[in-house]
Amino acid sequence: MRKTPDPSAAVDLVDVHKIYGTGPDPVAALDGVSLRIDPGEFVAITGTSGSGKSTLMHLVGCLDTPTSGRVTVAGEDISTAGSDRLARLRNRSIGFVFQAFNLLPRLDVQSNIELPLVYAGIPRRERRQRALDAAAKVNLTDRLTHRPSQLSGGQCQRVAVARALVNDPALILADEPTGNLDTANGADVLRLLAELHRSGRTIVLVTHDPAVAARAARIVEMRDGRIVKDTPT
Amino acid sequence: MNWFSGLLIGLQEIREHKFRSFLTMLGVILGVASLLAMFALTAGIAAGWRNTMQQLGGLERVGVNDKQVSLEFADLAALSPGRTLADAEALRGLPHLVSHVAPEMQIPATLSAPDGQTVSARVTGTWPDNLTVSQHEIAAGRFLTDLDLERGARVVVLGDAKVAQLWPDEHGTDAEFLGRTITINDRPFSVVGVLALYEREEDRRRREAAAKGAPAPARFAMGGRSSGSGRRDMFSWKNESVIVPLSTLYHEFRSGLPETPPLAMAKLDNLNFRVRDLQRFDETLTAVQNLLRGTRRGVDDYDFDTREDWFERMETSLRSTQLSGGLIAGISLLVGGIGIANIMLASIAQRVRELGVRLAVGARRRDVFLQILAESTVIGMIGGFLGLGAGVVLLDLLGRVAPLESPPVIEPSAILISVGFATAVGVLSGLYPAWRASRLDPIAALRYE
Repeated sequence: MRKTPDPSAAVDLVDVHKIYGTGPDPVAALDGVSLRIDPGEFVAITGTSGSGKSTLMHLVGCLDTPTSGRVTVAGEDISTAGSDRLARLRNRSIGFVFQAFNLLPRLDVQSNIELPLVYAGIPRRERRQRALDAAAKVNLTDRLTHRPSQLSGGQCQRVAVARALVNDPALILADEPTGNLDTANGADVLRLLAELHRSGRTIVLVTHDPAVAARAARIVEMRDGRIVKDTPT
Repeated sequence: MNWFSGLLIGLQEIREHKFRSFLTMLGVILGVASLLAMFALTAGIAAGWRNTMQQLGGLERVGVNDKQVSLEFADLAALSPGRTLADAEALRGLPHLVSHVAPEMQIPATLSAPDGQTVSARVTGTWPDNLTVSQHEIAAGRFLTDLDLERGARVVVLGDAKVAQLWPDEHGTDAEFLGRTITINDRPFSVVGVLALYEREEDRRRREAAAKGAPAPARFAMGGRSSGSGRRDMFSWKNESVIVPLSTLYHEFRSGLPETPPLAMAKLDNLNFRVRDLQRFDETLTAVQNLLRGTRRGVDDYDFDTREDWFERMETSLRSTQLSGGLIAGISLLVGGIGIANIMLASIAQRVRELGVRLAVGARRRDVFLQILAESTVIGMIGGFLGLGAGVVLLDLLGRVAPLESPPVIEPSAILISVGFATAVGVLSGLYPAWRASRLDPIAALRYE
C-alpha cells in the first residue's frame, strides 16, 4: 500500500480516517479510505446515507481535514492545513454545486456568480467579465439581474454551476446536484456537467441515485466508511 | 475582500432591512443627538461668557485696589501716598508689558440737559486709554483724546442709558446727540461721543425679536435705544457712563478746595490697566508690583483684581456640565451599542447558511469577521449622522420651547467627536458578533436550516 500521496493527481487520499466525537463511543465516518482521482476524470461517489460519502466529499472539498492519513487536493497536501489555506484552496481550486443550490437570496444572479472572485481579490471589471463568460456557458445571460427567488430550480442550479466555474477551478464537486430538481432539469444539469468534463475538467459527483451515478465514467461505492466498489462504467 | 467590499455588503444589508436597521440605530441616534446638543449648549454658554467677559474688559484687564495694611506695617502706612496718578504715570513706563493705563476719578454730580431732563450721575474722569481698558465701543462721535486731556477740555462721552435718561422723549440716532451741551454741576460740557448699548445676548435677541414683530414697542422704535429705566445688570455701569477728561474733572470740580494736593498726588478712585500679552501675565504682575513698590515707598497697601479666578470658576462649572451631559449621552450610546450587538447576533443566526456559502466559496474567517464588523460599523456611522440631524432638530425645539440665554454653538469638533463616538460604538458592538460569525464551521453552516 502507498504511504505518500501523489501530487500529480487531482485528488489523492491515502489511508484516511475521519473520526467524529471523542470519548467512549467515537464514530468512524471514514475508516481507512484510499482514493486517487486523476485530472480530467468524471467520478461518481455513491452510497447510502451514513456510508461516509458526505464526509469524503467534505475532505475532497477542503471543508475539513482528516483525523489521520493524507489528503492531497490539486497537488497540495491539506492533511494538516489551517482554515485560511483551506479557504484559499476552496476559492482557487474547487467549484461547489450543492443540492440546495445555496445561492445568496439577496444578491442578483451576476453577483452570485461573482462571489468566489470577490474573495479571490479580483477587481470589479474583471469580475463582471468573467461572470458574464460563466453565465454564457450555462446559457443564463438573460437572467443576470434577476434574484434567485425569481428563477426556477433548474435555472438556480445553472447559476450555481456558473458560480462553480467562474474561478476556473481544477475540480468541480457536485453534491446531489439533481436532488431538488425534476427529471428534465436534472438531466439538464447532468448534461452541463458532462460538457464540463469533455472540456477537460475533473468532476466529482456525489449521489445516492444509481441512475445519476451512471453518467460518470467511474463509480466509487461506499459503505460503512469504506470503499466497497470502484468500477469504470 | 477588503474593507470597502465589506462596507458595500453592510450597506446592502441595511438597505434590505430599513426599518430593523433604523430601530437598531435608534439608541445611537439618541445618544449622538444628546451628545451634540450638550456640546452645542455648553459651547454656547462658553461663548456667551467669553463675550460678556470681553465686554467687561477681558482677561487682560487688571485693577489695582487698595488693601488694608497688615498690623506690623500700620505705622508705615502713612508713608505711602496711596493710589495716585503717579502710579498711572509709572505704569506707562512699562509699555512692553502694559499696553493701556486708565486711572479714574469719580464724583457724584447733577447732569442737566437744557432741552431735556435733569438726572444725577457718577462722573468719571479718565484717560483716553479707558476706551480699550474698559472695552468701550463708540456708537457715534469719538472718545476722549490726549488733546482733551492736555487742554482740560469740557467734553463728555455718554453711555447709552444716560442719553436715554437725559432725553427720554427722543428716539433719534446716536449721532443726533453729538454737539449738544449739557451741564455737569452747572458747568457746560459738550457731548462729543455716545457709547454703544451693552446688553446680554439674551436681551439683545429679545429686543430684536420685539423690534421685528409689529407693532414695535415705542422704546424700541428707533435704533434700539435702551429704556434707561434703571434696569440693573452687569453692564449697567457701562451703559450709565459719564466720561470726561481726568484733568478737566480735577480742575473743574476738585481743585480750589482747601488742602488740595497737586494733580499728580491726587487720590484715584480706580486704576486699571491692560496686560499686553496674556502669555506674560504673571511676569507683568511682578513687574507692576516692583514698580508700585517704588511709588508706594515700600508699603504693601495694594492688591490686584484679576479675572482669572472668575475664568477658572467658569471653566470648572462648564466642565462639570459637560461631564454630566456626556454621562447621559454615554449611557445612551452604550444602550445603543448593546442594541446593535443584539441585532447583529440575531442577524447572524438568520444568515448562518449565507455565511456557510461564503465560507465554501473561499471566504476566510477574517473576511467573515470583517463583513460583520463593517456592517455594525456602518450602522453606527449612519446612526451617528442621523443623530447629528436629530441633535439639530432637538436644539431647534429647545430654542423654541425655552429660549436660551446663549444660543447653542455647533463646533466642528463636536460633530467629529459625536460621529466618532457613534462609529466607535458600531465597531465595538460588532466585535463579538463578528467573532462568533467567524468561528462558524462551514460544514455545519451549510447544513443549517
